[in-house]
Amino acid sequence: MPFFAGDIFVSEVHRKPVLDQAGEEIGKLTDITVGQSDPFPAVTALVVTSAKHTYLIPWDQVNLFNKRVISANILRDKITAVDIPPSEILICRDLLDKQIVDINGAKLVRVNDLKLGDVNGRMSLIAADIGLRGILRRLGIESRGERVLSLLHYRLQNVLIGWHYLQPVEPKLSKLTLTVSRQKAAQLHPADLAEIISEVSSKERSAIFGSLDVETAAEALHELEPSVQADIIDDMSKEKASDILEQMPPDEAADVLGDLPEAKAQELINLMEKDEAEDVQELLEHEEDTAGGLMTTEYLAFPPDMTVDDAIRELRLEAPDVETVYYLYITDDQERLLGVLSLKNLIMARPETLLQDIMRSPIKTLPLDAEQKDVAEFISKYNLLAAPVVDENNTLRGIVTVDDVVDFLLPPASRKKRRKL
Amino acid sequence: MINRIKQFFERNRFAAILSVIGPGLIAGNAGNDAGGIATYSIVGAREGYGLLWALLLITFALAVIQEMSARMGVVTGKGFGDLVREQFGVRVTLAIMGLFVFANLTVTIAEFAGIAASMELFGVHKYVSVPLSAMVVWLVVVKGNFKQVERFMIGISLVYFTYVVSGFLANPPWKEVARQIAVPHLKMDRDYFLLFITMVGTTVTPYMQFYLQSAVVDKGVRIEEYPIAKYDAYVGAFMTVFIAFFIVLCTGTMLHPAGIVIDSAEDAAKALEPLAGQFASHLFALGLLNASFLAAFVLPLATAYGLSEAFGWESGINKTFSEAPQFLGFYTAFIVIGAGIIMIPDVPLIKIMFLSQTINGILLPIALVIMLRLVNDRSLMGDYVNSRRMNVVTWITVSVLIALTAMLLITSLLFPA
Repeated sequence: MPFFAGDIFVSEVHRKPVLDQAGEEIGKLTDITVGQSDPFPAVTALVVTSAKHTYLIPWDQVNLFNKRVISANILRDKITAVDIPPSEILICRDLLDKQIVDINGAKLVRVNDLKLGDVNGRMSLIAADIGLRGILRRLGIESRGERVLSLLHYRLQNVLIGWHYLQPVEPKLSKLTLTVSRQKAAQLHPADLAEIISEVSSKERSAIFGSLDVETAAEALHELEPSVQADIIDDMSKEKASDILEQMPPDEAADVLGDLPEAKAQELINLMEKDEAEDVQELLEHEEDTAGGLMTTEYLAFPPDMTVDDAIRELRLEAPDVETVYYLYITDDQERLLGVLSLKNLIMARPETLLQDIMRSPIKTLPLDAEQKDVAEFISKYNLLAAPVVDENNTLRGIVTVDDVVDFLLPPASRKKRRKL
Repeated sequence: MINRIKQFFERNRFAAILSVIGPGLIAGNAGNDAGGIATYSIVGAREGYGLLWALLLITFALAVIQEMSARMGVVTGKGFGDLVREQFGVRVTLAIMGLFVFANLTVTIAEFAGIAASMELFGVHKYVSVPLSAMVVWLVVVKGNFKQVERFMIGISLVYFTYVVSGFLANPPWKEVARQIAVPHLKMDRDYFLLFITMVGTTVTPYMQFYLQSAVVDKGVRIEEYPIAKYDAYVGAFMTVFIAFFIVLCTGTMLHPAGIVIDSAEDAAKALEPLAGQFASHLFALGLLNASFLAAFVLPLATAYGLSEAFGWESGINKTFSEAPQFLGFYTAFIVIGAGIIMIPDVPLIKIMFLSQTINGILLPIALVIMLRLVNDRSLMGDYVNSRRMNVVTWITVSVLIALTAMLLITSLLFPA
């Protein structure tokens, strides 16, 4: 069992000589491999490089491991040189100086140093140092730097982030991502997640998406620009992509699919569940910038002869599946639009009242081919949260909600955070 | 109907090009900064059309290097600072960023000096022009978003065409000009050679590559858009030298035959007045003002991007002070220091310019070699590594550039002006 005490920074042992049983130098410590284990990745071996060879010394053959001495329970002549398999995770090569997601701060940070420590008797990777102190330590001037900065009344602090609050972005490292940090990543606000995703390269972006559950991925995707969404979907496995598309509101899903090559889009639609696929298919037939392209087909519609009491009961059942619950549309058996009722009116009405007696009629509607600008003006003019879209027979085809046109209404400055990738 | 569809596609392609173009154009034009205008003015005044042929070589070298920067930005989605840090570690990064910050700071000072000098030709005192322009430079980036800032800078880039007008106003003997370009000839003369390498050194500078790559990343250019980004880098390189050509043409036609010796761009503008009239003189001064102004944006931006990438701070023009304090902090500090030093009476400007030339001369070879290593790294660039032919071209270009900067460095250290 290797003997090690306390926490050690990787920079403090990097390039230190590694001795064998007889005290002969095997080589210099150049890297450390870690393996998957909960909650922290445990050290599996030391990578030791001599003038000619590279050796891997398994952790259970290590005798002493501290800032001053590193030694192994083995004789130098007994070790054979190896080529390190590319799948191995080397913390200096793969983590040091790289970018990583700080889940609490919801941003990308750069790893200046790594901290190893005792976890249930195993030496494990416990934290990343992202502060100035880490850089100074790497340069070997930590204490000098501290003294100089203290003259300026600046206290040099450790900025450490525990491994369980970190999410690597490098695809290869995703197997090190713990269930804990996966859940944490899912707790990030989708907008924050989207912001981070928009800042990493396309390879890394797929790795982050791969680690998310379908629901979180759908929400984060929702926040990105359509062309970027299409890129991400294009990179994913078809099964996962269609699962995510199912989770998205049909109008969003249609936007994403509209930016993909037709063959690919059709393939994904075929993989989706029938109901969702039909909605999306229908939306795809309209021009993207018209009411038909902007609308969603998930809305609340009730018959005119329903009572308020029944409607409220029905509303509870259907609410989870629709984008907005503030308007209830009243349609006949041909799905022709008769009137509208706000949630407020519904709640205030007596339970036995029929919907047709309290609905507002006739109501303003948009044609399928109305342009985005006209849709935005319509919603703004009548102060609506959503506008109904009907075809030439007055059949209700969908609704455009205010969030679909809000970007069009607000001046560019207030939407500057919605970045292109 | 078919016509309408065609029209639609053409419009969209045009829109696609417009949405990508920018970083290369701006980075290129920022290479024609205050120091660049001064060098070209001096080249024309001293040697007439004798160095015009070299501009062709410079266009080529610049285009090759700028394209690689754009390609790295598009493919990796990371800036040069990011890549250096990730591939070469803390020490190398710190050394390069140290040189980079120092070189850029001195160049920034030179830009504000250019603003002061050109505005004085219009009768505006530097205590008015410098703080005012610094304020504008700061406000545009801090308050604007990426799109607005970029459009603003592209707008400024168009003002460079005043030099084209100046060139035509000088009414040069076009046949003679064409002959000088087509038939390269070397003069065995120390001053001639020194001018040649200074001209190369002032046109290919590290901040242009840093800025280009970071801007491509901040803009979010995607890999499918790479062909347009490449075009953007080439157009930027071409336009830079195109403008330089007309500067040399202007001073070469007006000042060289008269035997007027100048040491700076403002000298050139002043010397033009009795020979070509006030309009030509003012046009030349306006060009200098504009060039200094654009570079006063690009240098602090390139530095702030580079530092943020290297040390893992949030960066981007779209960010606010609370989101990216270090990025905007360094941007602000550069403007304050750059403009502030110009406000000090009797600043040894020549010494500062000389220092910036020296540091850039040290940095350029290092940056170029690192760039070639990165651009050939398959784990980073995938199929977008240099082809073998491209590598031959780039290595020759880079070797020549390194040899020239080394010579510039040695001569300027041995025989300080």
